[in-house]
Amino acid sequence: MNALLTSAVAGLTAGGTYALLGVCAVFTYRLVAVVNFAGAAIGTAGTFVLIALYEAGFPIWPSVLAGIAAGTAVGVAVGYIMTRWFSEAGASTKAAVTVALLVGLIAVGLRLTGGQHPHNMPELFPGSAFRLAGVEVTIASVLTIGLAALFTVLSDLFLNRTKVGLNLRALADRPMAAELLGIRVQLLSLLVWGMTGAFTTFALMIIAPQRSPNFMTLSLLVVPALAAALVGLFRSFWRTLAGGIALGVVEGLASSVDSISQYRSAIPFLVVLAVLLWSQREARWDEAR
Amino acid sequence: MKRASIRASLLIIVVALVAGVVAYAGLLPSYWVFLATSVLITGVALQSLGLVAGRTGMIALCQMSFAGVGAWTVGYLNIAEAPGGLAAWVLAGGLAAVPFGVAIGLPALRLRGINLAIVTLSFATAFDTILATITYPGQTDFLQVPRPELFDTDEGYFVFVLLFYAGIAIALEFLSRSRLGAAWLAVRHSERAAAAHGVRIATAKLSAFAISAFVAGISGGLLAGYLGTLVSDNFGMMQSLSLYAVAVMTGAHFAEGAIIGGLLVVMFPEILRRLDWPQDIGNVLFAVGATQALSTGETMSETFRRQLRKLLPAHAPKAAKAVARELPPAVRHAAGPALAIEGLTVRYGSVVALNDVSLTVAAGTVAGLIGPNGAGKSTFIDAVAGFLPAYEGRIRLAGKALEGMAAHRRAREGARRTWQTNRIAPELTVGGYLVLAAKGLSASETRALLDWLDCPHPDTPVVSVDAGTRRLLDVAGVVAARPAVVLLDEPAAGQSHEETLRLGQRIAEIPKLFGSAVLLVEHDMDLVRAVCSEVTVLDFGQVIASGPPARVLEQGAVKKAYLGIEEESAAA
Repeated sequence: MNALLTSAVAGLTAGGTYALLGVCAVFTYRLVAVVNFAGAAIGTAGTFVLIALYEAGFPIWPSVLAGIAAGTAVGVAVGYIMTRWFSEAGASTKAAVTVALLVGLIAVGLRLTGGQHPHNMPELFPGSAFRLAGVEVTIASVLTIGLAALFTVLSDLFLNRTKVGLNLRALADRPMAAELLGIRVQLLSLLVWGMTGAFTTFALMIIAPQRSPNFMTLSLLVVPALAAALVGLFRSFWRTLAGGIALGVVEGLASSVDSISQYRSAIPFLVVLAVLLWSQREARWDEAR
Repeated sequence: MKRASIRASLLIIVVALVAGVVAYAGLLPSYWVFLATSVLITGVALQSLGLVAGRTGMIALCQMSFAGVGAWTVGYLNIAEAPGGLAAWVLAGGLAAVPFGVAIGLPALRLRGINLAIVTLSFATAFDTILATITYPGQTDFLQVPRPELFDTDEGYFVFVLLFYAGIAIALEFLSRSRLGAAWLAVRHSERAAAAHGVRIATAKLSAFAISAFVAGISGGLLAGYLGTLVSDNFGMMQSLSLYAVAVMTGAHFAEGAIIGGLLVVMFPEILRRLDWPQDIGNVLFAVGATQALSTGETMSETFRRQLRKLLPAHAPKAAKAVARELPPAVRHAAGPALAIEGLTVRYGSVVALNDVSLTVAAGTVAGLIGPNGAGKSTFIDAVAGFLPAYEGRIRLAGKALEGMAAHRRAREGARRTWQTNRIAPELTVGGYLVLAAKGLSASETRALLDWLDCPHPDTPVVSVDAGTRRLLDVAGVVAARPAVVLLDEPAAGQSHEETLRLGQRIAEIPKLFGSAVLLVEHDMDLVRAVCSEVTVLDFGQVIASGPPARVLEQGAVKKAYLGIEEESAAA
C-alpha cells in the first residue's frame, strides 16, 4: 500500500507540470482560438537558455529569469506568426501551423543543444516540502501543482469576471469583429502568447531534471498537456487541472508496476481516446454549414 | 472520368519504365540508384499521408507508426521464415497496418481536425515507446531481411520498389476519380453536403484511414528490405511530424507532390552532408515551407500546376453539346404522394421553428414552399433530409416512414436536397461532382444533363465555375440521381431574370423527364407561379395557406406575411 502511495506521490510533480501546461493550452485556445502543438517546445527553448547559462557558469537565479524571458520571447514570436498570417484562418489550419512550427523548433533546438547529448540541468527546488502518511512530498510537486492551481484560478477569474477577459473571449471567436469594436487584437494576442510562454517555461524548468533533458523529449510533453486539456474539453480550467494531475499520478502508479512501467507513455493516448469517444458521442456534423 | 484515369496511368507507366530501364541498365552510379530507391520509399509514405491529410483534410501525425507496423511485420515474417518472400511479406505488412489505421480512425468518425491530430500524435508517442521496448525483430541478432533474388542488387531493388510505387500511384489515381475519391473531397469540404448525396461519413473516413495505413505499411515493409535491419528510430515520432510538414508543403496527394517530397527528404540531407553542414537543418526548411504553404493555401504541386497551365496554350473545355435524348432515363416511382408530412414540429430550445406543419407533394408534380425569411423553410428541408437531431411528426417518402434514418440513408432512399449556400468541394471537377451525386451515369448522359441545365463541360474544375452556375450544378446533381423527391432550396437566388425563366422551364420538366417530384423553396414569385401546381405558405413556422398558386398568392394573410403590413394600413 505504502509503495503504491509513494509512486503515486512521485507522479505529482509530473502531474502538476501536465496540469500547468494543459491549463496554458486551454488558455491559449479560449483566448486566441489556437490549439498549440508547439506549446511545450516554446517552454523548452526557455529552459535550454537556463541550461546554457548555467553550464557557462552564470549564477542560477538570474539564469532562470533570463530563461523565462527567452521563453516569453519565443512565445511572442510564435504568436506574431499566428496573428500576422493566420488570424483569419480556420482552427484546423492554425493547428497545422503549430505542428509545422513544432517541427521547426525541435530541429533548431536539437541543433543548438547538441542533439541527444545529456545536459546538466540544475534542480531548482530540491528537497521535500512535507511528509504525507510517511511519504515525502517534494517541493517541486507542491510548487507545480500550486502554480497550476493559481493559474487556473486567475484564468477563471480573468475570463469570467473582467472586462478585458470578456474582450479577449470575443476576440477568439471573431478577431475581425473584435478589431472593429476597437479592441487591440494583435497586442492582446501577443500578450496571451507571451504569458503562456513564460508559465510554460517555468513549469518545464521544474520538471526538466526528472526527465532526460533533451530538446525533443521536453517538447513532446505537449502530448500529456493536450490530453489534460481534452479532459477539460478545452473549456474548463478546473477539469484540465484535475486531468493533468490525475495523468501524472496514474503514470507514477504505472511506473511502479514492472510489467507495464515500460509502456507508461502510452497512457496519454488511452486517456485521449477515452475522453474523445465519451465527449463526442453526440456530435454528428462538422461546423461547415 | 475513366479515360482521364487511364491517360494518367499510362503516363505513370511510361515514366516508371524509363526510370527502371535507366537504373537497371547501369546508366547511373550505384549510389544514386540507392538514393533514388529511398526517394521512392519516402514517396510511398507521402502518398499514404496525402490520402488522409490532402484529400480528407485530417491532420494525421502517426504515419510512420503505421509504416513501423508494416516493417515490424516484415521483420517478424522473416524471422519466422514465412513463405512467399519479400513481396508477399510487404503486402502482409500493409495489411497488418490496416487494423491500426481503423482503430485510430474509429474515434475520427465523429472527430475531426484538431482532435484527430491529438489522437494521432499521442498514438505516435505510445508506439514510439512500445517499439523501443519490444525492439525490431532480428535487431538484436543482426538478422537481415533478404531481398528477392531477382532484385538483389541496388539497381534490382530500385526496380522492385518502383513496381510498388507505380502500382500504388495508379491505384490511387483510379480511386481519386471514383465516387469514393469524390466523397473524400466532399467530406473534407462539408460533411452535411456529402451526406446529402448519400455518402456515409463513417465509411468515407474509415476507408481513407484504412487505405492510408495499408500504403504506409507497405512503405515500412519496403524500407525493411532496403536497409536490411531496422531500429525503432526509423519510425520515430519526429519522422511522422516532419513527414507531415513535407506533405503539407509539397501537396502529397498529387503524384508529383509525393515525388518532390521524397526528393526533398532524401536529397536535402545528402546535399548538406556533402557540404559538411549539419543535416537536420532539413526539418527547419520543411517547417518554413509548410507554414508558407498553409499561409498561401497553395502547395508546391498546385503552384507548379498553375504555372504549367499558364505556359500551355489555353484550351477551354468545349461547352457540353449533346442531344436531349441522351439524358438519363426517368426512374419510375410509385404513384400517390411522393412526400407526405404530418404534424411536423421542430423546436430549438424554447423557440418553435416549425409548428404542426402538414404538407403533401404528389408524385409527378412540382410543389412550392414559400414564406418570408425566418419562416422555417430551410428548417423544413433540414427535417425532411435528416439534418436535425430531433423533430415531432411523421415524414413519409413514397409511403415509407423516414423516422430514425440518418441523412445519408434518407438521401439513398430518395429524398435529395440542394443548399442555399454553395457546398460543392472546389477541388472536384464538374464531372467528378456528378459522379459523387449519382451512381452509374454514362459519359454521354452526364454531358447531356449538364447541357440541359447550361452547366459547363465535365472536365471543368468547380473552382473556376461562377457562383450562379454552381447553384445550377447543385440542381444537376440532385436531378442526376433521379430520386423520389428533390428539395430545391432557392435555386434561382443569384440568377438573372432570363436565367431564372430558363431554370423555371427546366424545373417544370423534371417530373416528366426524370420521374422525380419537386418541392421548390423560392422567393421569386414569378418562378413559383410559373412552375408550381400547389403552393404552401409558411409564416413563423405555421402553415398560413395552401392550394393552387393563383388562389393562394392573392390571400390577404399571405400578402401581409410578405409585406409585413395589413393592406388597409398600407393604404393609410
